[in-house]
Amino acid sequence: MGLAENMTSTKKLALIAILAAQASVLHFLESMFPNPLPLPGVKLGLANIITLLALIVLDFKTALQITVLRTIFGSLLSGTLFGIGFFMSFSGAVTATFVMALLLRLFRGCGIVGVSIAGAAAHNLGQLVMAALIIQFAGIFFYLPFMLLFSVPTGFLTGLLTRELVKHIKAAKGCLTGGQGKI
Amino acid sequence: MKKHDVILVAVIIFMVLTGFGGLKVYQRQNEKEPRFAVITQDNVLVERIDLNAVEEPREIILPGPYHEILRVEKGRIRFKEADCPDRICVRRGWLQNPGEIAVCLPNKAVVRITGD
Repeated sequence: MGLAENMTSTKKLALIAILAAQASVLHFLESMFPNPLPLPGVKLGLANIITLLALIVLDFKTALQITVLRTIFGSLLSGTLFGIGFFMSFSGAVTATFVMALLLRLFRGCGIVGVSIAGAAAHNLGQLVMAALIIQFAGIFFYLPFMLLFSVPTGFLTGLLTRELVKHIKAAKGCLTGGQGKI
Repeated sequence: MKKHDVILVAVIIFMVLTGFGGLKVYQRQNEKEPRFAVITQDNVLVERIDLNAVEEPREIILPGPYHEILRVEKGRIRFKEADCPDRICVRRGWLQNPGEIAVCLPNKAVVRITGD
């Protein structure tokens, strides 16, 4: 791990900015789609692709920074900043980052797809915990089994996308790290 | 998908099944009990309705940042109208079995069916 080990700090800063911008846009785009299900917060989780990518290509601290930035900027773009949706996204995204980092570090046997599914499930859990805190009602966990069920296909899809991304980035490793004269 | 991935998915599916199973057991236990609809907002009880005793269908208007109307009929209740952003509460449809809930997060309103 850590393609960014011998990256200069300026290069790393630029990479963080790019990833945070990409994640923010994905977050915003996804909030434009109407939720087809009568369940709160069920979505593809496209922005989670960037979090997982950052965990693999960079490190935990950077990935967490990118995730926090994108929930703030993404919500700012969609006009839901500091609304209930923002707090749910924030809590879900941070929980997912922790769980995925833990899995990547402790259970090396997990593939990117598995980590992504676990991240999607953790996202739902974090969201519901926040929702339960906001409305002070634990019965909202009634939704958890339904949401966990949907986290498997959505996490699988975003996991596949992340795996392809990582494959291509690793192939182009030179342009991320040393790469004098390259981008 | 590696072996550990399959285990992870199996664990999640197990949790899903346990959740559904628990709900089914709760519903079966409360099948013949009288059914109540409990409406709360901001964790404050708005109304508790004996659904089996409802003769005339009626509507309840909820206060709060969004305008919401609940419809109560014999044995069932639903969010009829809401002007909140997602309207997840309205799309949840009718609630009639114990354990079922409908939540409107922006309005902090919860409707749940209990058997006791």
